[in-house]
Amino acid sequence: MISLKDVNKTYPGAVPLHVLKGINLEIGKGELVSIMGASGSGKSTLLNILGILDNYDTGEYRLDGTLIKNLSENKAAEYRNRMIGFVFQSFNLINYKNAIENVALPLFYQGVGRKKRNLLAMEQLKKLGLADRAHHLPGELSGGQKQRVAIARALITNPSIILADEPTGALDSKTSQEVMELFKTLNRQDGITTIIVTHDPGVGNQTDRLIRISDGVIL
Amino acid sequence: MFDLFHEILQTLRHNKLRTALTGFAVAWGIFMLIVLLGMGNGVTNSFKEQVMTPGSQKINIWGGRTSKPYHGYREGRDIPLKATDITNIESEHDDFVAEANSSIYGTNPNITAGTHSITSSYVGVYPSEFISSGGNKKMVKGRFINDRDMSTQAKVVVLPERDEQRLFPGEDGLGKHVDISGLSFKVIGVYTAGWGRNVYIPFTTAKMLAGNNDRLGSVSVLLKNVSTEEDGNNAENELRKTLAAAHDFNPDDESAVWIWNQFSQGIKGLAAMNILNMSIWILGLLTLLSGIVGISNIMFVSVKERTHEIGIRRAIGAKPRSILTQVIAESIAITTLFGYIGIVLGTVVTQILDAVFGDTDFIKNPTVSLSIAAQVTVVLIVSGAFAGLFPALKAIKVKPVEALRDE
Repeated sequence: MISLKDVNKTYPGAVPLHVLKGINLEIGKGELVSIMGASGSGKSTLLNILGILDNYDTGEYRLDGTLIKNLSENKAAEYRNRMIGFVFQSFNLINYKNAIENVALPLFYQGVGRKKRNLLAMEQLKKLGLADRAHHLPGELSGGQKQRVAIARALITNPSIILADEPTGALDSKTSQEVMELFKTLNRQDGITTIIVTHDPGVGNQTDRLIRISDGVIL
Repeated sequence: MFDLFHEILQTLRHNKLRTALTGFAVAWGIFMLIVLLGMGNGVTNSFKEQVMTPGSQKINIWGGRTSKPYHGYREGRDIPLKATDITNIESEHDDFVAEANSSIYGTNPNITAGTHSITSSYVGVYPSEFISSGGNKKMVKGRFINDRDMSTQAKVVVLPERDEQRLFPGEDGLGKHVDISGLSFKVIGVYTAGWGRNVYIPFTTAKMLAGNNDRLGSVSVLLKNVSTEEDGNNAENELRKTLAAAHDFNPDDESAVWIWNQFSQGIKGLAAMNILNMSIWILGLLTLLSGIVGISNIMFVSVKERTHEIGIRRAIGAKPRSILTQVIAESIAITTLFGYIGIVLGTVVTQILDAVFGDTDFIKNPTVSLSIAAQVTVVLIVSGAFAGLFPALKAIKVKPVEALRDE
């Protein structure tokens, strides 16, 4: 599903910063993996590249067989929309849109009609047990509910991978566990490839595979 | 399209106060533009009606005093106009003179009918006076002085409606008689007018009352076949030459006879009206411009505030173009929405002004036409798009990585 070959990334500057030093990584379909590393390890940069939010300098990144390299803004947006579902630490819901509108937003950018969009979004919310919260604004939801809405938004386009950046970072331990259970269930039942970036060993240990990154190289 | 509209509505509702404050500037700009244009139209309409009527193609001449010696005469000689000047002008310049005429003002300001009287004197006029004197005159009943009255020196009179009511309160004055200078005149017509309300009798009758004196106070020349200011000026010069030959004064002597060229002045006035209208547009658009700058400013603030949101949208698949479209559409929406509020308020105010001042001498029908409303709509959409353009270009520079940055 994901294949990185000798990926390098340097941030230019007065003192150029070589953050990724020849990353090689294979993640198979249906895997639930976590990427762990201290801050400054290159973890975030790797996440940005995996999520097509940033470019890399040399090497090769294939996502679901498609070479992701030097894409135009439009192409990158399209790939992100269709192939990647993002889950963020701070949920990143749009605060003046209710749950169902937030979940439906990726479909809006695919040009899906309003009715069909809302139907699919409602289905997704039902699946995650949030049907009764569909018309609530993010401000009226608890942290766990917000993150579940965000996960519903990530799932709505049937992406190749779910990319979660510290998905439990803003939640208490009980809610964190619930969210982790949800990721595990989705992975086990629907075979959704999931990559969780975290610094919390408690989260990392619950995944099938743990990838440690330190100083720009995978250990 | 509906989705875009929905998105806009949502973001505008999210920032109600800010949207309203910004929009106010645009509404105000358009409101001012509409009201100013309305008032400008009112003044122009009134000017056109009073000055640019058929009767405005006129040159008035008064006798003066020479300022240059000529043919052995010293300067300072009085030049009185005479009845023969009228026939001279008509016969020599039938290419541009439709008619030359004159009027004689009565000296005894007292007209009576039985026990009623008015303190007003008569004016002896030609039949053409009714139209050429302007003032939007309309006969209420009867008729105006005609050529037969002129040739027979008929003792007939045409009254303004107001004077008829004073002389014959509650009665129909038509066909009855009034006393002017000890003679009995028959009322043959009653009229109304916007301005210039006189008691009219035939010129020839007035001349007789004045003792058949050949001297005239003034001569009016009604022009034909003239259209430009230059035509009017040429006519004026030709008339001066004719009079100079008849009265033996230097044709370059501008004070020997006084000439008021209403025709050329009217054309100048019309040009001034066009400048007035143009200034109003410029003034209005500049007022609007400050509103537009406000919109642009607020869109910048909005883009800045929503950097994180735009980042999220980009991360989940929004293309730069959809962000661009959204910002510009939002800007157009605010501008047009409040612009229309301005149009509606402006139209209401011009209608009120119309109701209050609509029939006075200085402002006539001070409203704007539908075509101006259409022009203003185009202005609004264009300026809205313009206001949104630069903020939108800033918005598409937002990188999707912004979504990962914690607020």
